[in-house]
Amino acid sequence: MQQKIDEILAYLNNKLTAAKSSADCQAIRVEILGKSGKITELFRLIKDVPNEQKSAVGQLLNGAKQQAESLISAKEVAVANEELNQQIFSAKKIDITLPAPKCTGSLHPRTIVQREIEEVFTSMGFVVEDGNEVETEYNNFTAVNVPENHPARDMQDTFWLDNGQVLKTHTSASQNRILKKYPLPIRAIFPGRCFRNEDVDAGHENTFFQLEGIIVDKEVSVGNLIYFMKEMLSKIFKKEVEIRLRPGFFPFTEPSFEMDVRCPFCDGKGCPTCKNGGWIELCPCGMIHPQVLKNAGINPEEYSGCAFGLGLDRMTMLTFGINDIRELNSGNLKLLKQFGIKN
Amino acid sequence: MIISLNWIKEFVNLDGIEIDEIVKRFGLSTAEVESVNYVGNDIEKVVVAKILKVENHPNSNHLHILQVDDGSEQPVQVVCGAPNVRVGLKTFFAQVGGRVKQLKIKPAKLAGVESNGMCCGGNELGIEADTSGIVELDDSLKVGESIFNILPIKDVLIEVDNKSLTNRPDLWGHYGIAREFAAIFNRPLKPLNLDDPSAYSKLKKLNIKVETKNCFRYSSITVANVNKKVSSAIMKLRLNYCGMRDINLLADLTNYIMLELGQPMHAFDNAVVKGITVIEADKPIVMETLEHEKHTIEPGAIVICDDNREPVAIAGVKGGLKSGISANTNSLLIESACFDSMAIRKTSRKIGLITDASTRYEKSLDPELTITAIARLLYLLKEIDGGVKVSSSLTDVYNFKYSIHTIKTDADFICRRGGVNLKETEIVNILTRLGFKVEKQGKNLLVTVPSWRGTKDVSIREDLVEEVFRMYGYDNIKSSTMCMPLKPVDKLSTHEIEYEIKHALASIFNLNEVHSYVWNYLDFNKQIGIEQNSMLHLMEASKSGQTGLRVSLVPTLLKIADENKNKFEDISIFEIGRVFDALDENNLAVERKKLGIVLASESEKDEKLYFKLKQIAEYISNNLVGANLEFKTPAENKIYHPTNSCQIFANKQVGEMGILHPAIAKKIDARKQFAVLELDVNELISSPKQTFKYLPTSKYQPVSLDFNFVADKSTPYSTLENIINNFKCNYILEHSLKDIYINEQTLKDKISYTINVTITPKDKTLSSNDIEKFSKRFIDAFASQNIILRN
Repeated sequence: MQQKIDEILAYLNNKLTAAKSSADCQAIRVEILGKSGKITELFRLIKDVPNEQKSAVGQLLNGAKQQAESLISAKEVAVANEELNQQIFSAKKIDITLPAPKCTGSLHPRTIVQREIEEVFTSMGFVVEDGNEVETEYNNFTAVNVPENHPARDMQDTFWLDNGQVLKTHTSASQNRILKKYPLPIRAIFPGRCFRNEDVDAGHENTFFQLEGIIVDKEVSVGNLIYFMKEMLSKIFKKEVEIRLRPGFFPFTEPSFEMDVRCPFCDGKGCPTCKNGGWIELCPCGMIHPQVLKNAGINPEEYSGCAFGLGLDRMTMLTFGINDIRELNSGNLKLLKQFGIKN
Repeated sequence: MIISLNWIKEFVNLDGIEIDEIVKRFGLSTAEVESVNYVGNDIEKVVVAKILKVENHPNSNHLHILQVDDGSEQPVQVVCGAPNVRVGLKTFFAQVGGRVKQLKIKPAKLAGVESNGMCCGGNELGIEADTSGIVELDDSLKVGESIFNILPIKDVLIEVDNKSLTNRPDLWGHYGIAREFAAIFNRPLKPLNLDDPSAYSKLKKLNIKVETKNCFRYSSITVANVNKKVSSAIMKLRLNYCGMRDINLLADLTNYIMLELGQPMHAFDNAVVKGITVIEADKPIVMETLEHEKHTIEPGAIVICDDNREPVAIAGVKGGLKSGISANTNSLLIESACFDSMAIRKTSRKIGLITDASTRYEKSLDPELTITAIARLLYLLKEIDGGVKVSSSLTDVYNFKYSIHTIKTDADFICRRGGVNLKETEIVNILTRLGFKVEKQGKNLLVTVPSWRGTKDVSIREDLVEEVFRMYGYDNIKSSTMCMPLKPVDKLSTHEIEYEIKHALASIFNLNEVHSYVWNYLDFNKQIGIEQNSMLHLMEASKSGQTGLRVSLVPTLLKIADENKNKFEDISIFEIGRVFDALDENNLAVERKKLGIVLASESEKDEKLYFKLKQIAEYISNNLVGANLEFKTPAENKIYHPTNSCQIFANKQVGEMGILHPAIAKKIDARKQFAVLELDVNELISSPKQTFKYLPTSKYQPVSLDFNFVADKSTPYSTLENIINNFKCNYILEHSLKDIYINEQTLKDKISYTINVTITPKDKTLSSNDIEKFSKRFIDAFASQNIILRN
C-alpha cells in the first residue's frame, strides 16, 4: 500500500510541476482526489484488508489524502497568484485623461436660485406655497388693499384678460388665499411668475419671477422682519450681510420699506454691481396692512405680520452676474446650457 | 424732482450739518435720492463788467469789438456776438483764466481780432433760460464784483426719485421738504412770508362757480396794474436750477409757487377772463394750449371756463392759449385750486399730457394750501412790482372741505410694532416735529393729522408707527428673532415633486430647462402649420404684439427649438409651465401646470427619441410619483405623427407624446428628427399610487430560461407582456425582453421575441421535471394567443 501511495504522490508531484493554470490544477485535483481519483480508489481497497490492519491502512491513506490536498492547494494558490499578476501585467493601459461623457443637462438659473432660497426658508420653518398665474381682480388688488382707482389697475400697467381676470402682477396676489389656508401663526413663502404690461429692455420684463414671504403671529415687529431678511441674505450670499431699511410705499404694507443690502460683492466699497453706491436695493417689504389681515379673516388687533417680496430675477442676475433680464426668458441655449444643477 | 438746498435753507437752518449727512438722513427717513449735483463750481472768474465802447467788427457783420471795464486797471478788449451789446450795459464777464462750464477762457482771435474774455449769456451761465444775448444787469451793481457775491449760483441740487414721493403730496414743493429736514434734524421751520389776503375783503367778489364735485376747492383773486415783466435774478436762477425755464414774471411766479409749496397755480389774463365756471365736460371739447397744441378733452374731464362758459383751461393740466398771459398782460386772475386726483390723472393720461401741475394733482394735494399759495404769490409779486393793485377780494369756493381727522393710539402699540422701546415723550416729540398735534388721554395718544398729510397718506395708527420710526431711524432698530411654536413644516408635495422632476430631467436625462412666455405665438404657429386657439385673451396686446394665452407648452418649446436650431445639432429642452385651456363654470381660467419636452436630433433616429421620452415619462411616474403608466396609440393632437404617437394614461389620461408630425418637423428643421411630450404635472401627481410591497426572496437556486416566440408583426409587445403578467405559477417569475428579430426571408410578416424568464422556487430545489412542466405550460399560454415557440 505504501508503495502505491508513494507512486501516486510521485505522479502527483510530476503533474503539479507541469501544471500551468488553474484549469490544470482543477484537472489534477479531479484525477487524484475526485470521485474516481487515484487516492479515492485506494480507499476502496480497505474492504479487502484484514481487520486488524484496517486502522493502520486507514491512517496511512488519510495521511496521503491530506498530503495530496495540501500539495494541490499550494499549487493552486501559486498558479492563481501567477495568473492574477499576469492579468494585471498584461492589462490595457487606460488613458484616463480621455474625456468621459459629460452631464449636459441644466436647470434654469432661476430654478437654481429659487431652490436655494426656498431651502433657507424651509430650514427656518416656512412652508413653500404655489400660486396661480391668472388671478381674480379681488385677489390681485382688492384683497391686498390696492384702492379701486389705483393706477396699478390701469390697462397700461396690468394685463387684463377678456374674462375679467388678470395675469397676476405680483406674488402678493396669493396672500389672501394663503392667509386663509393655514392656521396661525403662519410662515410661508410663495414664488411665482408675474406679469406687467411693460416695454421689455435690459432692465425690464413683462414676465418675471418674484418670491414673496409672509410671517403672521401675535407680536411681529419691524425688528423681526430685519432679523429674517438678514438671516436669509447671509445664507444666500454665504457671508454675514448688513441690511438697511428705507421708507417705501405699497398699499399692502404699513409701514412699508425698501430694503437694501450692503453690496456683498465689494463689501460696500463700490463696484459695478452696486453702481458704486455700496448698497443694492433688493427687496420691498413691510408690516402687513391691517386691512389685508382683515380681508383674510385675521383680527389685526390680535395679530400682526410682515411681508417681503424678493425679485427672483434680480437675485438670479446678481448671483450669476447676468446683466440683461431678457436673457432669462430668451430660451437661448448657448446661455442656459452653461448652468448646471446647483449654484 | 430737483431740490435746491439753498432754497431749503431759506426755511430751515442746516448749519453745521455735512451735505453727505443731509442727503443720507433724507434718503433713510423720507425718500430716495437719485443724485446729488454740486452746481456753480464750474464757473470761475466771472465778474460784473461795464461796456465802455462798441465797434463793428471789420470781418463780420454780427460780431462787435468791445472795450469793457471789469475792474482791472485797463479796459479789456473782447469780441462779442450778442445783439444786445451797447455802451453802458453791465453784464457778466468771464475773465481770461476763468471758466464757464466746459469752456475755459483763454486769449483768442475771433475773425482775426484779439479777444480777452467773454461776455456771458444767462443760458451759458445756467442762471436763466434766455439765449437772445448777454445778461443785462442792474446798473447799481459794482464793476469787478464776483458773480458769487451777486447770485447764489453755488448750490447743491438733490434729485429725488418721483416714485418715492407718490404717497407724499406734501413733498412736491421745497417748503414741504424743508419741513422734513426740520423734523429730521430737530430744527425749527421758519414761517413763510405771506401777504394778508383778508385785507381785500372789502373789494368786489369774483364770479366763481363750481359745477363739478371733482373740483374740491377753487380760490381766486385778481390783480391789476402789473407793469414789471421780468422776474428777479434769484427767481430765474431757482427755476432753472430746478429744471424749469423762466418765461416772464407772471408765468415764473406761478411756477415758483408750485416749486416752493407744491401748489400748482394758473394766471389768466383778467382782460380776457373775468370770472370762472368749473364744469365737467358733457361733450368733447377741443382746446389749444399755451404751447399751441390742440387737445380733445373727453366728456367727464374737468374744464375751467370763463363766465361765458368758454373753455379756458384743462383743469389741473394746462391753460388755454386765448386766456393766457401775454407780453401785454397787466391784470390777472389767479387760480389756486384743488381737484380730485383721479379725475386729473384720467384726463392727463387720456390726452397724453403729463405736466408738472397734473403730476402734483395726481398725488391728492392738501386743499388747505390754496389760500396760502395766493398769499405767498401776492407777497412775492408785491416785492418785485410795488405798483400792483389787488382788484378783488379773495374768492374761495370750498365745496368739499377737508375734514380733520384724528388717530387714537398709544406708545405701547407703537413700540411693539417697531420692536423698540421708546419713551412716550420721544414719540410725542417726533410726531410734533412732523406737524401732528398730540393730545394725551391717559395711556392713549390722540393724534391730529395735519392737512398736508391727511389727504391719503396718514389715516391709521400703523401710519404713525412709520412716522415715528422713520424719524427714529430704521437703522437704529435692532434685529430680533421671534418666539414661535416648533412644528414640522408641511411640504407641498406638488412643489417638491416638480423640483425633483426638473432635477431628474437635467441630471439624469441631460435635458436643458428653459423659461418662456405664456403667450400664444400665432405667427410662429402659422408658419409651422399648427393651430392653437386661445381660451383667454389679453384686453390689450402685449408690447410684443401677442394677445392669446397658450393652451399648450409644445408650440412654445418648438419656437425655442426653432430659435436654437442653427446653433445646435441636438436640442433637448423642457419647461414646467402653465397653460390656460379652459374656463370653469364661473368663467374663471382653468390653469394647468404642464411639463413639456422637445427632443430634436440630427444623429439620433426618431424612434430612439420617442423611446427616450417613454423612459423619461416612466422614470417620473414610477420613481417620483409612484404611478403606473399605460400608452395608447395614437395621440389625439394633430401636431403628433399620426401613427407613432400615443396618449399617456395613469388611470386617467395625463398627457401625450410622440414623434412630431413630419410636416411640422420639416418646416422647423428638415435635418432634425423631433419627438415631443406634454404631461399634466398635477394630474400625474394626483393619480392613484401603486402600493409598494416587497417580494420575499428565496434561498433556492433560480433557473434562467430563454424562449423565442414568433408573433404577427401587428401584435404589439404588450400582448406578450400581458400573457406573462397573467401567467400563474408557484414560482417567483421575473422576465425581460432579450432580443427582437425580424427577417423578411425566414420570418416574412412575423416577428421574433426572445424573452428571458427566471423562475425561483419558494420551498424546494427545482427538478428537471419541474422545469419541463413549467416550460410547457408557459409555451401553451402563448400558443393559445397564436404566439408560437420558434425552434
